[in-house]
Amino acid sequence: MSRFKIGDRVTVRDIPSIFHTRTQGYTRGRTGVVVALRPEWVIPEDEAWGRYEGRREPFYIVRFRQQDLWPDYGGAPLDTLETEFSERWLDPSS
Amino acid sequence: MGTKSSSAYAALMECIRSHAPAEHGVANLPLSISQTRAEALLHVVHDVGGQPDGPIDKSLHKPAHWEKSTHCTAECLAWRGHWVSEERRRRENDLGETLYFGTPYYARWLLAAAKMLLDKGLITPDELFAKMEQVRAREEIAA
Repeated sequence: MSRFKIGDRVTVRDIPSIFHTRTQGYTRGRTGVVVALRPEWVIPEDEAWGRYEGRREPFYIVRFRQQDLWPDYGGAPLDTLETEFSERWLDPSS
Repeated sequence: MGTKSSSAYAALMECIRSHAPAEHGVANLPLSISQTRAEALLHVVHDVGGQPDGPIDKSLHKPAHWEKSTHCTAECLAWRGHWVSEERRRRENDLGETLYFGTPYYARWLLAAAKMLLDKGLITPDELFAKMEQVRAREEIAA
């Protein structure tokens, strides 16, 4: 059961990371739009530390406006970036 | 590796010094550090997006035999259930900044694989060293 659906606005949680993470620093605290749902899979926080049969969660492809990611972005305003998060990294955004 | 004589040791030290700052500041071996410094030191190594960097070499690279072999070895280790790719990426970060940024892409895979095999008791260090010695002799690599 997925918490978010395509078109939902989501904000990436900005919590500390150490040693390993798949949630890029430049996405922390940024808001984007869910553009695709990915199948449930073991979260990287478990896979990375040898828990191959660990916690499974839905994954989402989130699209950001480049201007929202980079304060000094010099490209076209239409430019976007898509990346992927497990559900625990996303909060709903109004 | 291969420091069998004082001249080889001197050459090794010269090479190591070229990777490290010539002078260490007061922060070397500190009793405490600032929160800002701690967060910079503990930044996840591969999370480089947005960091300043020089031009990227975008020329096409034909995979070398050792690179293909490394990829196959990593996949076979996964097939046998010894790790998964996400664990490999974490282990590459565990190598630390100097090795991570100082070694080729597939060398990081190899180093991560070797440490995983040691960590999990699948090989012993003496087996690893003996194999390295064997390969060195076979490939006629100078010490």
